[in-house]
Amino acid sequence: MQFENWRDEELIRQAIAEEISAAEARLEGLEKRVIQAIATRDLARSAWKRWIRSVLSPRASALRFAYVLGALLLFVGIGILIGRFSFAPKPLPALAQEGTVFALAAPGAHKVEIVGDFSAWKPIPLVDPDGDGVWTLILKLPPGRYEYAFLVDDRWVGQDPNADEYVRTMGDYTSVRYIGGGSS
Amino acid sequence: MGDVGELELIQRSLEGDLEAWGEIVVRYKRMVFGTALAVLRNWADAEDAAQEAFIRAYEKLHYYDLSRKFSTWLITVTINVAKNMLRKRKAEPEPKTFHSEDPATLVAREELRKAVKEAVWSLPEGYRLPLVLYYWEGLSVEEIAKAMRLKPATVKTRLFRGRALVKSKLLEMGVTADAV
Repeated sequence: MQFENWRDEELIRQAIAEEISAAEARLEGLEKRVIQAIATRDLARSAWKRWIRSVLSPRASALRFAYVLGALLLFVGIGILIGRFSFAPKPLPALAQEGTVFALAAPGAHKVEIVGDFSAWKPIPLVDPDGDGVWTLILKLPPGRYEYAFLVDDRWVGQDPNADEYVRTMGDYTSVRYIGGGSS
Repeated sequence: MGDVGELELIQRSLEGDLEAWGEIVVRYKRMVFGTALAVLRNWADAEDAAQEAFIRAYEKLHYYDLSRKFSTWLITVTINVAKNMLRKRKAEPEPKTFHSEDPATLVAREELRKAVKEAVWSLPEGYRLPLVLYYWEGLSVEEIAKAMRLKPATVKTRLFRGRALVKSKLLEMGVTADAV
């Protein structure tokens, strides 16, 4: 039997669930064993010790600080993103006849990579030798349909303006290119 | 105690109520065990790790940040415990619960199922763990990233690459001619 319906992720889900569910009997009474172990280790501290620990815990002040820092980072982050990425389609370099050009405008980025089914989702770096902020890579790919995404400074950019279409997989977008005989 | 809220159980646990913590264990033991199994690939070790993770989480409960999702925090604790066990074990042993089949026999639907199972569970931990967290625990990419202390993009590439590795393993076994 061929594994024909491979796109059905249910098979992977099933493979994982079966293995874990098969061991379910082992979890019977785990809560009692945990409680017993805690009691044996004398972890049940008296109430006042717990109160002192909770007062000394960094949670209260740390939370307030985290909220302020988070808001600040969000503000700065949005500013950087607006200024840094232009997703408007840009003309591709005139090198397409040598292969398929993957290009992304990411001025200010330190590293741009591409991951896709053509590389078994291993990152391949793009280059920007003239420093104009347009990062490119030419790949010689046999005709077919290819799914991919860019990683801009380790951030997932799944919607390439030059893609033929987008698909939503595992909660995010990936781009699709049709090479040879397709629409590209 | 089934209808008591999670936050109340945590607060009662913080006050030393072991029965409340026992209820937390009941609610999360499958999740914690699944996570430990994804790292250790061995039922007995995963059971020990699950127990130890709940003890460790109880000990560290004062440091749990209430603004975080409790399950994500608990998964992080479990991953740390399981990885420590793995380090103590020095080398990762062959999984005891999975076995290879002769490719020639991988012809029936049942065998295909076994092949997928073996391919998934023989993945390196770095790919296996995100797949289990995604498909078994139902965590989002962002939650997995927080639990594993990775960047979301890294989690995504590991999920895609994990699936690609399953596919290549199946090709190796002669089970599939199709692609992800």
